[in-house]
Amino acid sequence: MFLKQIDLTTALRPSYLPDEDLLFVQDNVGLYEGKYKLPNQQNGQVYLTSHRVCYVDKAEPRKHSVALDLKDVERYEFYAGFLKSSAKITLIPKATKRSSLQSRSSGVALGNGASSPATRTDSPVRAPPVEPPPASTATWVCTICSFSNPVPSNFDPSTASAHTPLPPCLACGIKPTLAQILKAAISNATSRQPGPALYTPLPVRPRPASEFGAAQINTPGSSPSTPARGANSSPRTSDPDASFQCPRCTFLNHPSLLSCEICGAPLISHDLPPEFSQQARTQTDSPGPFLSTPLSATAPGLDSPESVKVSFRGGGEKIFYERLKGCMTQRKWLLHGAPPIPRSSRSDSLGGNGTGPGTDSSNGSPAERVKVAGIAGLERRGQAMRKNNELVIGSAFEDLEALMASAKDIVALAERFARQVQPGGAGGSASETALLAESASQLGLITTKDIVGTSGGGDSLYLSELARNLAEFLTDDRRGVLKRAGGIMSLVDLWAVFNRARGGVELVSPADFEKAANLWEKLGLPVRLRTFKSGVKVVQGRDRTDDTTIKALLAWLKDLHEFPPDREVTWDWHEFGRGVTARDVAERFGWSIGVAEEELEMAEEKGVLCREEGIEGLRFWENFIDTGEGKSMPNPAKESHEKIMRALKDGGFL
Amino acid sequence: MSQSQPFPFPREYFFPPFFTRQTNLTTHHAQLTKWSSLILSYCRHHRIFKLPLTPPDVTTTTTTTTPSATTTTAASTSSAVGDDLFYNRKINRRLSLSDTREVIDFLRKDGRAEYVSGNDKEGGGDVVWIYWRTPEEWASLVEAWVDETAQKGSVLTLYELTEGEGTRGTEFHGMDPELLQKALSVLVKRGKAQIFGQEDSQGVKFF
Repeated sequence: MFLKQIDLTTALRPSYLPDEDLLFVQDNVGLYEGKYKLPNQQNGQVYLTSHRVCYVDKAEPRKHSVALDLKDVERYEFYAGFLKSSAKITLIPKATKRSSLQSRSSGVALGNGASSPATRTDSPVRAPPVEPPPASTATWVCTICSFSNPVPSNFDPSTASAHTPLPPCLACGIKPTLAQILKAAISNATSRQPGPALYTPLPVRPRPASEFGAAQINTPGSSPSTPARGANSSPRTSDPDASFQCPRCTFLNHPSLLSCEICGAPLISHDLPPEFSQQARTQTDSPGPFLSTPLSATAPGLDSPESVKVSFRGGGEKIFYERLKGCMTQRKWLLHGAPPIPRSSRSDSLGGNGTGPGTDSSNGSPAERVKVAGIAGLERRGQAMRKNNELVIGSAFEDLEALMASAKDIVALAERFARQVQPGGAGGSASETALLAESASQLGLITTKDIVGTSGGGDSLYLSELARNLAEFLTDDRRGVLKRAGGIMSLVDLWAVFNRARGGVELVSPADFEKAANLWEKLGLPVRLRTFKSGVKVVQGRDRTDDTTIKALLAWLKDLHEFPPDREVTWDWHEFGRGVTARDVAERFGWSIGVAEEELEMAEEKGVLCREEGIEGLRFWENFIDTGEGKSMPNPAKESHEKIMRALKDGGFL
Repeated sequence: MSQSQPFPFPREYFFPPFFTRQTNLTTHHAQLTKWSSLILSYCRHHRIFKLPLTPPDVTTTTTTTTPSATTTTAASTSSAVGDDLFYNRKINRRLSLSDTREVIDFLRKDGRAEYVSGNDKEGGGDVVWIYWRTPEEWASLVEAWVDETAQKGSVLTLYELTEGEGTRGTEFHGMDPELLQKALSVLVKRGKAQIFGQEDSQGVKFF
């Protein structure tokens, strides 16, 4: 399947891959597969990252959230929306091996190319002789003997270089040029845009879509091979007669042939992928409104059964499209796993600047280690370093795209500068700054105002994303922000920590922060905002309620009945235990003192504790004052009043 | 006779937070209830009719910090009695005057206390009547006694009622004369008695 189930974080956001960047978020979207609505993915948020498009369902996020890898996307189309139909972006998957084997008509691909910006540029290039048939592997035609050789299956046009070994022509043994094979491979890839005819051997003559849909549903179930093939005809000729046009030499072959009689190019395969026939059946459950109103703008995309459409019911499609375009151009997923560009020597020399000359000499690249000794050598090295820095900064600011690409370098550089500026940072603060720097880098996926779409509700999407962001920040086990604070921390502290972790950029305003925190409850996130009686707002895990806090407090106070106090006390500690101050509680539970005070007062308010104000300050005790018998104690005045009333009633006066 | 045995203080009396005003309303109400019942039973035990609120001698109480000073000897004089009530030497906790007034106000709402000066405003005096029996109850007690001893229609002096041989053994023996007057005035209002005579030699006639 093109769409995959994904893992979600605790805050119900997709968990990101390493190096993945969040680019855009938009809520109120629905998904289509082919031209049918996916019944379970009709209201959710779409996350565009540098690697994926993730859909997170609103109602059942854990169950129905899906994602598709951008690396599997062949091309994408934009449909601006018309009257009641909302704007959509269609993502068409790259053909798998299987489907490319079945693909037989490049004509359809040419037709599609007209509407897709990605292929349009390629299509004129495809002259018939160079044009390889869309077989399982691309073929290149030998320039010497005109034999069509297959392109090696391990040949990847995106990584091929001059050093890639190329097999010689099978007939004459002459090695092809890289450009030739590259061309063949690329044109093969672009011609693999499958129209429906590629998967379903159905005639692609123009027909009403409804009829088409019906045919699609009916045929694959029965016997896919013969009737389908019989029905199939070249889309170009629109010839009803049952014959196959060879995609390479255009010879009309007999339908039962597997390869072209003239040129030997493989013709279509017999069987259909079993999942497709299944798909067709499930899709009938929820036919979209498009069934009866075919819209020409997206028609080619619609025809592809595997293509996924994102329907933007709340707007935001333009930005999504722009970012998607940029992201498809950058193709960051290719970087993943690629060998690092000789960046290491530069950063090492930079590191050497901060830490000392020892590390530098050992790691420096051989080019830099020209034998220059003494002060001159040191100076030269410094100069080289400065030049390098200049280069990095200069290239980064050349244009924004480049800045995005080299953002990592710049961040690393900035961090290093910051570390140099800070003189040592002795003791506890050093570890703190290290931690902050670390968390700053871990907080790579931050929600900023420009990556969320602007739906009608103004800031609401930004706030909800911020709320999720915060929840993740809090519950992240690596950082353990909440855990370190004893499971509870004041909102102000959190605000400070969070903004510091952001490293001084894209700071969150207190107002937004509070609003986002208020959304936790609504979004069903694992943290909650609590307001104490005094108005102090704290953040804590959702599993920690007042009851559990009280239970913990009481259990501790009960323990104090058993263990003798540190010093002699005048009361019977066996019976009453002893009083605890907010400081004791803070120490015991790892809370801040303010939080401890609030928790104690909360427990007092619930009548579980009572207070004692003395010279030693405010202490809290188990409540032995209100032990319940106070309520049963009769109020004599009230009782007599009731008695009179009863007597009056009995006497018939009332 | 009343001091023959020490007053059995309730458990809360030895609970330090009992001497701090509670902020929780429910707890506070329970605290007030317990304090008033403590005051009433304490006064009944020691037959105290007028309770001084201010500690009689602040200097002596502050110097005697040792809890060894037994409560019974401290309570031997009537002035030290109130001191013992609001000040627990053993755990060195004292109910502050303002909190005491709050308890008294709580009692007054029940009709169980009244400032002696008659001033009902805040801080209306340092001595209060503690009505472990209300004047009405005293009145009915006296009336019942008169009825029992068949003294209706006879004239008795007030002194006779409280100190006389005839009332020995009754609850109102040794009663505060002022309180007796209050009780008798209730009877007068009901038309069951008539008070006459001078200031110090008053008499009462029961009907």
